[in-house]
Amino acid sequence: MSNPISACGAGDSPAGCGAGCHPARRLFTGSRPQLTRREFVAAAGVTALAGCGKAPPIEPSLVSIVRAPEYGQGIYQTVRGLLASHRLDVRGRNVLLKPNLVEFEPHGAINTNPLLVHAVYEGFRELGATVRIAEGPGHRRNTLDLADGAGYFGIVPHFEDVFVDLNLDDVKRVEPPHRVSGLREWYLPRTALGADLLVSMPKMKTHHWVGITLSAKNLFGVVPGGVYGWPKNPLHWAGIEESIADLHSLFPRQFAIVDGIVGMEGNGPIQGQAKPVGVLVAGRDPVAVDATCCRIMRVDPLKVRYLRLAAGIESPLVEGNIRQTGETIASVATPFQLIPEFRHLRLEDQT
Amino acid sequence: MAITFLKRTQNPDGGWPYVRGCSWTEPTAYAVMALLSAGETGPAESGLRWLRAAQRSDGGFPPQMAIPHSAWVTALAALVPAERLGLRAHARAIEWLREASGSESTFSYRARQWLLGNPVGGLEDAGWAWAPDAAAWVGPTALAILALEKERLRKPSAALRGRVESGRRFLLARMCRGGGWNYGNVTVLGHDLPPYAETTGMALAALRGDSSPRVVQTIAVASRFLDECRSADALNWLRLGLSAHGRLPQGYCPPASIKRRTIMESALDALVSQPNAGGLLDV
Repeated sequence: MSNPISACGAGDSPAGCGAGCHPARRLFTGSRPQLTRREFVAAAGVTALAGCGKAPPIEPSLVSIVRAPEYGQGIYQTVRGLLASHRLDVRGRNVLLKPNLVEFEPHGAINTNPLLVHAVYEGFRELGATVRIAEGPGHRRNTLDLADGAGYFGIVPHFEDVFVDLNLDDVKRVEPPHRVSGLREWYLPRTALGADLLVSMPKMKTHHWVGITLSAKNLFGVVPGGVYGWPKNPLHWAGIEESIADLHSLFPRQFAIVDGIVGMEGNGPIQGQAKPVGVLVAGRDPVAVDATCCRIMRVDPLKVRYLRLAAGIESPLVEGNIRQTGETIASVATPFQLIPEFRHLRLEDQT
Repeated sequence: MAITFLKRTQNPDGGWPYVRGCSWTEPTAYAVMALLSAGETGPAESGLRWLRAAQRSDGGFPPQMAIPHSAWVTALAALVPAERLGLRAHARAIEWLREASGSESTFSYRARQWLLGNPVGGLEDAGWAWAPDAAAWVGPTALAILALEKERLRKPSAALRGRVESGRRFLLARMCRGGGWNYGNVTVLGHDLPPYAETTGMALAALRGDSSPRVVQTIAVASRFLDECRSADALNWLRLGLSAHGRLPQGYCPPASIKRRTIMESALDALVSQPNAGGLLDV
């Protein structure tokens, strides 16, 4: 049995975790998406910044879905093809892979699989990039021991030489371009801020505080525990969903590769059940990638509050704004079991 | 060997990084204590100068110089012997710690919850947070108790005693059902959480002198962790926690295969290898 993660200081105690992270504060009580006034202001800010008040034409985000039935040697070729399809020009660039590393657990569905991380590491190296792997786990302080326990040392040669513990990295003060959470300033790892491309590599999972966790939520792992603690509880008090939106805006050069080979359903991100899906989902826009993953999981991305906050008004969440390649959503979709608190996220049948 | 390593990895500014890079308060405090207990006063004094310079006007310490707020690491600075840190600097750190608590135990938070009709029972027992504007957790609470208890033994005070007892009640309320501690919660969404080795060791150290059945049960949990665990950080805390209750097996040494991957792990290993854990468990 895996070790559970707890999202806030008080867990089930009345202290909760402050504004924004309690399921009771969720945005939607029914199925119709609505923006709160604060979200409208934040989203309008995104749009204004992007286009000085004019609505720019929407260029469809490219998101690819490729089948990957298992964590085997074939994954290397699959990843090569995936990266080639996105025509990433990373020669001479500094690429940082950010897997989701949570618990001492090599075989389950909690952590991003190390074989996939190594395949992506090799794939970017073959494209001429300098590649490093980095993570700042939310609860476990001994990150390298955790990576060892999760199987990374056994799979990635010289892992310690290419890995950066983002919890303990030097930090730099930054301000989000449009503040959504209660945090005016952030102290973030220089390694992550300095990357030419931050590759978010989450596991496809449900999450007991925000419904689902994919590439946008995975950015919690770049927040340094050395400043914010273990877990990064000030973010819970400032609003988990709002903090995700701020983090998304602070890292404009991203690529996302979601490990959906085996995901997790039910009481994720730690205590849920393994959910084989057999796919990798990738793209330059993490919000669009997450929206596609949601549809695969039979979750309505327009009902996931943090995705709406991160997306802005002209939403890459809308299916028509995403150019899907590879497999179709319908051919790989499989409903993920949702805990009662998040059953309202279920994607309604379009027919 | 750990002392040689600490001397080699000291930054030119006198502090220590976690692994490499700029100096942080946490590894610096541990390194200073380890060097002092080994009689290495030269490099320790440079570290002490770094610590004194890092102290903020409110008496607390930031995680590193560039961070403009005081935080949990104040407990580590306050664990440095008062006469070495400086009596005034030390007293201000103790005062900051005595006043600090998790946001959920503040009057304003509890009043708001009460007005909203939410339960507020148990919130009056105040632990310590990692950072401002956040809830209390087991790790920073255990460290703050160690620091305040050490000070209370040096200078008995009813105020300190009350604060320590409140913190201990916080820890006992957060103990996992079968003993030991997760990071702060007993359950999440109705599911029991299992204990973690490192937090179990830390909280046990903070509950020195408590021989209640639940603590005795936790000592058994910690002893099992000691046999099974392969993390240097966790083993350091387990050794400290079991030592605090006189239950560390005599002559215990961590397995040779254990890797110390951060400066903090090496420094703490050097400290807990000393009698009374280099002053962390002074009586």
